[in-house]
Amino acid sequence: MKELNISASQSTPSIVSDSANGSLLLSGDSYPENSFELFGPVIQWVDDYLASSGQSLAVTLELQYLNTSSVKAVMDIFDLLEAAHGEGHAVSVTWYYDSRNERVGELAEEFKEDCTFPFTVVGR
Amino acid sequence: MKKRYQDLETRIQSLLDEPSYADHPLREALDDLWRHTNEQLERIERISYLSDAFQMMARQRELGLVARYDRELKRLAKLVRISDGYQEMMRDMNAALKESSIRDPLTNLLNRRALMERMKELSLTAESDQPAFVVAMLDVDHFKRINDRYGHDAGDRALTRLADIMRCSVRESDDVARWGGEEFLVLLPSVSLEEGEAVIDRILAGVRGNTIEVEGEQLLLTVSVGMALHRIGESVSTTLSRADRALYLAKQAGRDRVALERRPG
Repeated sequence: MKELNISASQSTPSIVSDSANGSLLLSGDSYPENSFELFGPVIQWVDDYLASSGQSLAVTLELQYLNTSSVKAVMDIFDLLEAAHGEGHAVSVTWYYDSRNERVGELAEEFKEDCTFPFTVVGR
Repeated sequence: MKKRYQDLETRIQSLLDEPSYADHPLREALDDLWRHTNEQLERIERISYLSDAFQMMARQRELGLVARYDRELKRLAKLVRISDGYQEMMRDMNAALKESSIRDPLTNLLNRRALMERMKELSLTAESDQPAFVVAMLDVDHFKRINDRYGHDAGDRALTRLADIMRCSVRESDDVARWGGEEFLVLLPSVSLEEGEAVIDRILAGVRGNTIEVEGEQLLLTVSVGMALHRIGESVSTTLSRADRALYLAKQAGRDRVALERRPG
């Protein structure tokens, strides 16, 4: 599988996938000019990984600020995970946030609503 | 309905089967008519079946669309809610950033930039028949000694305490800023020099009357003040340098006092 290894910029998060270990990490702020360009490959990777591998997928998020199109992209990824979970795939999300900014934790909890797969929000 | 049809069918069938009617001129016509009727009945049944199937399909399609619409609507509501949350967070961070950009972090008084802005505003909106504002420049007397003797942390605590005294002594409409080091600036809008002096006298009395505890010792501090009234048309920096000149005179005259700059422009 073609892996993702995108470094962070001021307006985009770093994105690192590892299909051998079944992990995906997104970290930083996200307000890209073109969210489709940024998140298209991520959604594709998740879709391909879940379709081709019987392995588990652990998504780790360390996202701070998200603009509207990034919120939508993250919801799209969670929808894929939800569908995979429904088909018996072991998928999980861990969302780490800076506990000095409780608001980010609250927003992560809002994302978590309606998700039935393991989803933990951790302040640190 | 079915019963009547069955009765009719039996009757017609027995008529058609009756050998004595075999050559009757109406027999062939009845046979044709009966066949035609049955064909029509079959057609009606087929049409009803198709029509029902189409209706069912349309109904299911509609239900599917409604469910999808509801799902999308729910998703959109969630998206909007979360996005609003992020925007609100940004707005609050902006407000906090703005607040911290106008404050001196040690004393939480306004900083120099914020007070300059305020003075420029007042200067621009000043009217010629009313006093615009008075500036009072305050300098803590012999402050260097505190720093030298007790260290900078003790000096910082003394400045914080002095800032509290000043904040409590001025009127609601006045602004107090930390100008830098041990220098403070009080901005008094819409007063004459004499009215302003009364406010500043309260600060001086407050400073004199409050010991400041530094490293277990009770220190009595004093401040010297130079004041100037902003003149219509003069630049803010000119008003400030006039106040500064008065401050120098207050220091020269023995400190712990106010000097007014009232030389004609």
